[in-house]
Amino acid sequence: MRLLNIGLLSILFLLLLVSCSNSESNATVRDEIVYASSKDIRNIHPHLYSGEMAAQNMVFESLVINTEDGIKPWLAESWDISEDGLEYTFHLREDVIFSDGEKFNAEAVKQNMDAIMDNEERHAWLDLVNLMEENIVVDEYTYKLVLKHPYYPTLTELGLTRPFRFLSPNDFVDGMTRDGISGYSGTGPWVLSEHKENQEAVFTANKDYWGEQPKMNTVRWKVIPDHQTILLALEKGEVDLIFGSDGDMIDLDSFSALEEQGEYVTAISDPIASRAILLNSNRPILGDVEVREALQYAVDKQSIADGVLNGSESVAPALLSATVPYSDLGLVERKYDPDKASELLENAGWKLNNDGYRYKDGEKLELSLHYNSDNAQEKTISEYIQHDLKEIGTELHITGEQKQAFLDRQKSGEFDLQYSLSWGTPYDPQSYLSSWRIPAHGDYQAQTGLDRKGWLDETITDLMIENDESNREAMYEEILTYIHDEAVYIPLTYSRTKAVYRPKLQGVTFNVSQYEVPFEKMYFETE
Amino acid sequence: MRHYIIKRLLSIVPLLIGISFLAFILINLTESDPAEVALRVNEITPTETAVAEMREELGLDKPFIERYITWVTSSIKGDFGNSFINNQPVIDEIAQALPATLLLALVSFVIIIVVSVSASIICTMYEGRMIDRAIRGIVFFGEAMPGYWIGLLLMWFFSIKLNLLPTSGMSSWTSVILPAVTLALAYISTYVRLLRNNMVQIKSENFVLYAKARGMKESVILKRIFKNSLQSAITALGMSIPKLIAGTVIVENIFAWPGIGRLSVTAIFNYDYPVIQAYVFLMAVLFVVCNLLADIVTAILDPRMRKEV
Repeated sequence: MRLLNIGLLSILFLLLLVSCSNSESNATVRDEIVYASSKDIRNIHPHLYSGEMAAQNMVFESLVINTEDGIKPWLAESWDISEDGLEYTFHLREDVIFSDGEKFNAEAVKQNMDAIMDNEERHAWLDLVNLMEENIVVDEYTYKLVLKHPYYPTLTELGLTRPFRFLSPNDFVDGMTRDGISGYSGTGPWVLSEHKENQEAVFTANKDYWGEQPKMNTVRWKVIPDHQTILLALEKGEVDLIFGSDGDMIDLDSFSALEEQGEYVTAISDPIASRAILLNSNRPILGDVEVREALQYAVDKQSIADGVLNGSESVAPALLSATVPYSDLGLVERKYDPDKASELLENAGWKLNNDGYRYKDGEKLELSLHYNSDNAQEKTISEYIQHDLKEIGTELHITGEQKQAFLDRQKSGEFDLQYSLSWGTPYDPQSYLSSWRIPAHGDYQAQTGLDRKGWLDETITDLMIENDESNREAMYEEILTYIHDEAVYIPLTYSRTKAVYRPKLQGVTFNVSQYEVPFEKMYFETE
Repeated sequence: MRHYIIKRLLSIVPLLIGISFLAFILINLTESDPAEVALRVNEITPTETAVAEMREELGLDKPFIERYITWVTSSIKGDFGNSFINNQPVIDEIAQALPATLLLALVSFVIIIVVSVSASIICTMYEGRMIDRAIRGIVFFGEAMPGYWIGLLLMWFFSIKLNLLPTSGMSSWTSVILPAVTLALAYISTYVRLLRNNMVQIKSENFVLYAKARGMKESVILKRIFKNSLQSAITALGMSIPKLIAGTVIVENIFAWPGIGRLSVTAIFNYDYPVIQAYVFLMAVLFVVCNLLADIVTAILDPRMRKEV
C-alpha cells in the first residue's frame, strides 16, 4: 500500500511540474501561427507534384497570379502579347532576390522555364508545357515566352501553384531540376527553415521579401494525422488554424459542431469546384438520353446539400458554377421532380412492375454507383441517391472501392454512375475541359457513348488555341450546352474551402485556388 | 543446448523465405498496376508512354522470379528501394522513424512492468477484498476498450480538462506520457491477470504453507511466491516486445507520434508499395527473431522444454 501511495504521489508531482512549465510558454507574445494538417509538406520542389501545394505556394512565386478579379501582375510587372498570340513578353520586377541572395532576373526565369520544358512528360496534363517553343532573355529584366500555337489560358496557367514557379538556379542539379534539387530558395514571403519529416515544418518570414512583409514571424506546420486529435489540439490552443477543402481536413459534422460552440471562427469560401455524378453514356441502359435525363430529375440535391453537407454547399443548377469564367450561360436547371423522372422513364419504355422496379423487354432497371471508400461523405451521398432512385423504380447498387481501384475503373470505363469532382478554380474551366479528352479520365469514358464525342474533343482542342475572345465564348457555350443537354453529369453541389481558427487570429482569407493558404495575410490581434 | 539452438536457427530459414515471398507478392496481389500507382501518387497522368517508362524504371518489365530475387538480395543488404512518394531510400525513412517508435515502446514496456507487477502484488496481498476487486474491474475495462478510444479519452481528460500534457506530437519529454500509457493499458490488463492468477495459485502450494509454519516474514514469502509465478509471464512479455513495436500503428496516428507505425499508415494511404513491403518484411522478421529468443530463454530456464523438442 505504501508503494502505491509513493507511486501516486510521484505521478502527481510530475504532472504538477509539467503544468508549471506549460503555463510559462503561454505568456509569450504571439508571432507564430500554428497550422495543423493531416499531411506532411513532403518534397516542396516547385517544378514537381509530390509536395503539399500550400507549402509550395509559401516559398515559390509565379510571374502572374490568379485573383478573383482576373490575372494580376506578380513577379512580372507587366506584359505584352503579340498580335498572333504566340509571343508573351514579360517585364520583370527589378527588386526581387531569391532567399539565397541570388538575383531574380530574366536569366533565372529562362533557366526555370527550360528546366520545366526538359521534363515535359511529367507535365503532360498541362497544355501550356506542351505548347512552349522557346524561352528568350531579351535583356536583364525582360523575358519572352514563345509558343508553338496561340493558347488563350497561358497567363492563367503561368499563375498556377505549380509548376511555373521560380527556384534559385543555385539549387539546380546539373543545370536541371528533373532529378531533384539541392535547396528550396524561392522569392516568396516565407522561407522553409526547418523540416522534421512527419512531424512539423517551420516557415520563417523572408526578411528580404520584395512585397509586403508577412505580419507573423513564423508559421509552424504541424502534422497531425488524426482528425479528432486535430480538433482536440485546436480546443487546447495548441493549434490556431485548420484549413481545407472537400472534407480532407475538417469533416462537415465537426465543422458544424465547432460553428455551434461559438468559441472559434469558421469561414467558408466562394464556390470552388463542382461535385457531380457521371452518367456513363457508353453503357446499355444509360446510352439512352431519356434515362440519363430522368436520373437528373430523380435526385433530390437539396436534401443532399442539407442532410449530408449540412448546408455548407449550395445546390448546383449546372455542371459549372456561374462564377466560373465562360460558364454563366443560364442553362435550365433540372429541379427535383420524381414525377417527371417517372414520366421520362415510362416514355423510354421502362414500365413499372409489381415489385416496385421498372423493366423493359424483361430486363430490370438496375445500375451501379462506385465511390471512393476513403471518403465518408461520398458513401452517405450514394445512399441518398440509392433511395431517390428507388422512388422512381430504379435499383442502384452502391460499391465503395479503394482509391486506386476507383481510379482504375475510371480509366477502364467499367461503371454506370461514378463520382466526379471538377478541378476547381483556377483550373476550371480550361484544364478541366481539356482533361475530358484524356482516356484515363472518367469524364472521357462517360462521354464516349455520345454521338458527337469526336466533335466535342476537337472543339475543346480548337478552343484552347482560339485567339478570339468572342469565338471562345461561343465555343464554351456550345460545349457546355451540349454536355448539359446530353445529361452526362448530374450536378450536385459546388464545394467550398473551409477554415476554422481561433478568434484572435485575423486576416484569414481564401485564395482562388483551394490548395493555397494565404498565411502572409494572417496575424494575431494584440492582447 | 547448442544442438537445440542450431536446430531452431535452421528452422527459421524456410520461414524467412516464406515471409519475404509474401511481402513481395503483396504488390502483385493488388489489381492496380504499381507503375500507374507510382505515377498517380505524384499526380502525373498515366499516359501509355509514362506508364511504360515507369515500368522500366521500377524493373516491372522483368520476369517475376527475377524481380523477386533482385528484391530479396538487395533487401538483405538493407536496400528496400526508394519510396514512390519522396524518392528517398526506404531504409533511411525507416531508420529515421525507428528511434521514436523504440522510445515509445520502451517507455510503455517500463510502465507495463511497473504497473502490472505492483498491481498484481497488491491484488494477491488483498485477495478477494475491495481493492483486489477494484483493480480487477479496472483491468477488465482496460482490456475491453479499444485503444484509439482510450487514447482520445486520455487526451481529452489530461490535455484539455486538466491542461497538464500536450495533446500530440513529440515536442517535449512529456509528450511521450499519453501515447505510452495508451499503448501500455491493453498489455497491463493481460499481465495483471496472468501474474495475479499465478500468484494466487502458488499461494496455496505447500511450500508457502511450510514457510508460514516456519514463521518467515510475510514480505519474504511474497517474494518467493512472486519469483515462482514469473516464468509464464516472462515468456509472454518477451513475445509482447515485437507486438509493442508493431502495435504502435494506431497510437502513433492518434498522438501524431513520428514513428514507423505512422510511416506505414502514411505509406498505405499513399500506396507507397516499397515502404509497405519493407515494413511488412521487417515486422515479420522481428516477430520471428523475438519468438526464437523467447524459446531459447525458456529452454535455458526450464530444461524440460529442451527435451520435448
